[in-house]
Amino acid sequence: MEVITRELVDLNLEATSVKEVVLSLGERIESIGRLSNFDGYIDSVMEREELTSTGIGFGIAIPHGKSEHVTSCTVAFARLTSPIEWESLDEQPVKIVFLLAVPEACKGDEHLKIIAALSRKLIHEDFRQQLETLEDEQELVEMINETLANAITK
Amino acid sequence: MKLAAVTACPSGVAHTYLAAESLEVAAKKNNVEIKVETQGSIGIENELTPEWIKEVDAIILTNNIGIKNEERFKGKPIVRISAGDCINKADAIIKKLMEKLG
Repeated sequence: MEVITRELVDLNLEATSVKEVVLSLGERIESIGRLSNFDGYIDSVMEREELTSTGIGFGIAIPHGKSEHVTSCTVAFARLTSPIEWESLDEQPVKIVFLLAVPEACKGDEHLKIIAALSRKLIHEDFRQQLETLEDEQELVEMINETLANAITK
Repeated sequence: MKLAAVTACPSGVAHTYLAAESLEVAAKKNNVEIKVETQGSIGIENELTPEWIKEVDAIILTNNIGIKNEERFKGKPIVRISAGDCINKADAIIKKLMEKLG
């Protein structure tokens, strides 16, 4: 099963807060049937966010929730129409968001490997630029799936 | 010049790998050989070998959280830098080390 699909991509998300972004992307994950309990999943993401911000710098955030309410490992992507405050490491507002949904029973450290693989890739300016500019959703999906393939098959 | 680094962060895993990748990219750009060990929530990856540690001119350690097995670096010049600085200022860090170590 693909970790990210076209339905999980929003290239024009209008939001004014972290919660709004998480809710909107969470709805996309729910819409393709990968959540058994929407509220339960959203709570797990917001609880994680309260521990420390998942704003990793470069205008990017990777909020995530590992929860019994998730049925399969999923990544949703959003480009925000206007950047929002995320208490990021470099204090820059966020414009690119990856929301991760990981089942409790997920074998091993799958979600950690996804974050690790994404993080490494995000250092590269050309990758970030594509995230910010690609207009074709399918192209974006394929690029992200390719990036994560190595991390997940292990 | 040859370098080794170990990156870790107290929360989550993102910064461990952002810092590692950033150092690797900056080193490559400056023709410096570097091997970076990550101590993330997944565990230790790309563990530094004793042979490499022996060869390097300096060791970079992130200082946000204790580094495991630090005793292996005894006698080596150690530079302690936050993971955040490794991410955002890797190029300057590598250049400064080149200046100091030749």
